[in-house]
Amino acid sequence: MTHTQQQSIRKKACVALGAMILVLLPWVAALTGQEYYISFFSRVLIYAIAAVSLDLLLGYAGTVSLGHAAYVGVGAYVVGILFFHSAEMEPLFTWPFVFKGCENALVVIPLAVIISALFALVFGALSLRTRGMHFIMITLAFAQMLYYFFVSLEKYGGDDGLSLYNRSALPGLDLGNDTQFYYLCLTLLAAFLFFCTRLVASRFGLVLRGARDNERRLNALGANAYTYKLACFVIAGAGAGLAGSLLANQTEYVSPGLMHWTLSGELMVMVLIGGMGTLFGPVLGAAAFLFMEETLAMITEHWMIYMGPFLLLVVIFAKRGLFGLLTGEGKGHD
Amino acid sequence: MTDTILEVRNLHKTFGAVRATNGLNLGVTRGQIHALIGPNGAGKTTAVNQITGDILPDSGLVSFKGENVTRLAAHRRAARGMARSFQITHIFENLTVAENMALSICTHQGHNFKFWQNSLKTKAVREKLPAALARVDLTDRADLPASHLSHGEKRQLEVGMALTGNPDFLILDEPMAGMGPGGTVALTQLIRTLKGKLTILLVEHDMDVVFSLADRITVLVYGQDIATGPPDDIREDPAVRQAYLGEEE
Repeated sequence: MTHTQQQSIRKKACVALGAMILVLLPWVAALTGQEYYISFFSRVLIYAIAAVSLDLLLGYAGTVSLGHAAYVGVGAYVVGILFFHSAEMEPLFTWPFVFKGCENALVVIPLAVIISALFALVFGALSLRTRGMHFIMITLAFAQMLYYFFVSLEKYGGDDGLSLYNRSALPGLDLGNDTQFYYLCLTLLAAFLFFCTRLVASRFGLVLRGARDNERRLNALGANAYTYKLACFVIAGAGAGLAGSLLANQTEYVSPGLMHWTLSGELMVMVLIGGMGTLFGPVLGAAAFLFMEETLAMITEHWMIYMGPFLLLVVIFAKRGLFGLLTGEGKGHD
Repeated sequence: MTDTILEVRNLHKTFGAVRATNGLNLGVTRGQIHALIGPNGAGKTTAVNQITGDILPDSGLVSFKGENVTRLAAHRRAARGMARSFQITHIFENLTVAENMALSICTHQGHNFKFWQNSLKTKAVREKLPAALARVDLTDRADLPASHLSHGEKRQLEVGMALTGNPDFLILDEPMAGMGPGGTVALTQLIRTLKGKLTILLVEHDMDVVFSLADRITVLVYGQDIATGPPDDIREDPAVRQAYLGEEE
């Protein structure tokens, strides 16, 4: 008992420390004249939201999705397309009412979340009928399908993507200001993390973890694993959509590259490095991954050569990733 | 007139050339412990899987509480009051003992689309968990991951989970498999306390257990029931002795 209590205290300390660093970061960066890090860490926070949502699938539902970038992309394109119509003064549709597009963050971000969730509902309903390797392949196939759809969608830039002239507007905040945008991302990540920690401990989460461990047993208990996994898939898709909508704002640019399977793979690597099934780990994973990408890319364009062995070491020696090493949870395999 | 809770009529299932179930008939009376025995490969587990809905028969009828459930999904049969334990221990290894039991309690509370409150603190779990753990003697193991339990304790947990929903029909598929003598005695005792409260279909290899617990016994050979009756009749039945007991003793 004391051992698990110790771990839980260590875990809380790690999370509190991480939160403190993230809260103080823009201030320190401004003080030392390294403002660049504010926008870099905004990116980290956004990828962290996407990675945490993927962790729900990998670590709690036990469904390995290799198409999670699709929902990031959908979220980003919702923001991009609405902006495009708003800027070009060309209505998106005129029936049943005239919709001229939108730049208001209070509209576009929730819309991005909802539409990503709808995509996840449709794709999830079909792909969750399969298991294991087939599931991996079918999620990948759906994502690639969307990727090629947007590549050939000339109206919205096709291959070249879509540039936004400015970030969405949020009453009371100036999202064009990197510091304010950073705190928006941080708030949303914190809220999403809080929601997810409640979720996995709830009755829904318990059933979900049961489905991951032993689906047949769960069915014998009278719960239909499929429904719960699908609900989780939709929630994860919504989270990815949120990340996508923020990413579109951060880079002020949307392209089909956001749906490419390489991004799905990167998100998976972030989850693995940070610690699968820990929720907080993927935040650390996103930071570690993007930091390595940033620094190693300065040394060599083949930075993946260093990334590969690092990932191997983490996966082999740390059961719960970097986060597990910090909390002392991941010592060895049992 | 006897009250039949489960009726199986002329059930057939083939896997390729193997006739795993070949015209099985079985009637289980409410409140009794009905044992299903048979030599290895007789198709006991296949028969059980068709009763629970884990696999579907090629032809024949399974009716539960007077309702035809032959094609009904496993989780729907469970919702109608059928519970089972598996021959190979089927628990949730990565969840703690308490979480395993809580999961079982929650799934009997209707839907579980409750996203906010901690599952172990919900009303139903707080009310039922202590008794459920005590019933199978696992109270002091509550916070341990289930993977850390001994084999016998895993079995206890599994039976305990099957009992949380207050099922009226419990299928125990070789509950004694792999248990030490002490565990067998404890579990036999537990099953005996359940006698009369619910109907049990007991699939078991251990003959001492079967003859000491069962009200009726059905003997299965090559996917077919060759005899059904009270333990004393079965012991004396020449066909059974030849097909089954003769080989064992």
